Amino acid sequence: MANISCTDIVKSYGAHPVIEGMNLDIPDHEFVVFLGPSGCGKSTMLRMIAGLEEVTGGRIVIGGTDVTTLPPGERGVAMVFQSYALYPHMSVADNITFGLRRQGIARAEIAPRLAHVAQMLGLEPYLDRKPKNLSGGQQQRVAMARAMIKTPKVFLFDEPLSNLDAKLREKLRTEIRKMHLQLKTTTIFVTHDQLEAMTIADRIVLMRDGRIEQMGSPDEIFERPATRFVADFIGTPAMNFLHATMQDGHVARAGNIALRLSPTDFPRLRPGQNVELGLRPARMKLCPEGTPGALTGTVVLVENMGAEGQVITDVDGHEMSFTTPAFRGLAIGDRVSFAIDPGHVHAFDPQSGHSLREE
Amino acid sequence: MGKLISAIGVRVLLAVLIVVALGPILWTVLGAFKELRDIVTPVPKLVFEPTLDNFATILRNPTIRDGLLHSAIVVSVSVLIGALLGIPAAHVLARHARRYGDDVQFFVLSLRFMPPVAIAIPFIVIYLDLGIYDTLFGLILVYLITTISTVIWLAVPAFERVPQNIEEAAAMEGCGPAEIFWRFSLPVAAPSLFGALVFTFVLVWNELLLALTLAAQNATLPVVAASITSLGKEVPWGVINAATVVLVLPPLVFIGLLMGLLNTMVRSGPK
Repeated sequence: MANISCTDIVKSYGAHPVIEGMNLDIPDHEFVVFLGPSGCGKSTMLRMIAGLEEVTGGRIVIGGTDVTTLPPGERGVAMVFQSYALYPHMSVADNITFGLRRQGIARAEIAPRLAHVAQMLGLEPYLDRKPKNLSGGQQQRVAMARAMIKTPKVFLFDEPLSNLDAKLREKLRTEIRKMHLQLKTTTIFVTHDQLEAMTIADRIVLMRDGRIEQMGSPDEIFERPATRFVADFIGTPAMNFLHATMQDGHVARAGNIALRLSPTDFPRLRPGQNVELGLRPARMKLCPEGTPGALTGTVVLVENMGAEGQVITDVDGHEMSFTTPAFRGLAIGDRVSFAIDPGHVHAFDPQSGHSLREE
Repeated sequence: MGKLISAIGVRVLLAVLIVVALGPILWTVLGAFKELRDIVTPVPKLVFEPTLDNFATILRNPTIRDGLLHSAIVVSVSVLIGALLGIPAAHVLARHARRYGDDVQFFVLSLRFMPPVAIAIPFIVIYLDLGIYDTLFGLILVYLITTISTVIWLAVPAFERVPQNIEEAAAMEGCGPAEIFWRFSLPVAAPSLFGALVFTFVLVWNELLLALTLAAQNATLPVVAASITSLGKEVPWGVINAATVVLVLPPLVFIGLLMGLLNTMVRSGPK
């Protein structure tokens, strides 16, 4: 168990900087998710903490020890890879216990630990098999068992669920979360799947182009996106964006669309100012036509998602979508009105992309 | 019906190809067990009384026996040293020196561009000067060029196919580079590496030209087999056939192993 502190981390390949001056503090016991699109540097960051990549500049401290130049094996961290990375020439039991056997720990002590992790992950029937005779989900459980048995200070997960099918992914996600609640080991989990990040994290570090775009709890990231990029990246269906101009009375107008913004959230907006509005489909509701602040358009497409449906509409030439459980009554071409609570409207600076909300 | 005909057609074609490919070998093997008079009859004989005389002649003949021994020593030593030097070099090229990998790989391959005749003559001069002409050591030395370069050339892709994550997982458990190579890369790549060694073995086992030019008394089996025709006034066909069988046997056995290995690799396939 340990906290992790990264100071001014720089990583470059030749002249190409991949990570430019990243600062990050992870308290003990926390489950942190590095989230971002491909190539944002999240895996590189994880691999530097693991010791698999050299750090070009900066310091990494784990549990009070400066590990910046230590080899991976001396950092007290364990890692689970996307490709499982099991040793194909060893049985499952040998895979799990290799690290302990290598340290010269007595077999009598290893056996109960193996039994414990195997029981925890449901691997008892497979201990004598070779990895290639296991399914993907089982292989990833073996990889997790191999990481757990060492009781490391930190767990690192590098997109561990990306090679699994959707159902299994969900199941293992829950298991990882439960495991963390039980063991409370500081954990860093890398993923590009925002839903995975939202469901599993204590805290999300959303990265873009080698920099931290926003850091916060899943709620903060979802409800208070700091930039347009974050707002766009998080949430399914994706947020609607709309360029508008501020008018008197804190009203943002784009053609026929007029939305009142909360003066307490956006006290500094001035009439004439250009803004980019962000409207979450899930925060909008069907309403009778003519309701103040309602958007009215024609239905372009209805996507059935089971309990809810996403309705894509054309509002005055802008494509806007919202979700509603009452989607089954709507057909393509229908006129439909929907409204959003002013407290859920986001506004971003069109140039910088920063949120205009005052905290 | 059409399917059946085409299936039969394919089988017939395959059978013909097999006969064409194996016919000469089969005839040689048969000839090795025939008396001379059974070989030189105008009408080829398929039914005859087999004899082991030809093999006895070979194994009693000191030249051939020495040739066999020399071949065994020269080939096994040069393949062994080639493996000891080439396999670790290939791992370094595949993993730690990727930047230079392509250049080194090309250099290694370029060693094989040169026709052996071109290097044979300078080698004679150098070897005569150094006093290692007509020695097994000299032959091993020149074969090392072939074995090391072939092993490197074939082993680099074998190590590249070892998933890097496996080596990284081992590093996470505290293994140093040498331990990772020994306990993970080598066992995981072993089937492909074995194939590389077999191929290298066959390559030098069959080598004739350099052995012919660089050795006289201490020649290898291909040289001896090639010179058998001058053993007597009558061409000793049976003996030639028997010598060929002895010469071909090790490569055939190895190629059989290689095929079996390739098949299991294709079937279980690295995922």
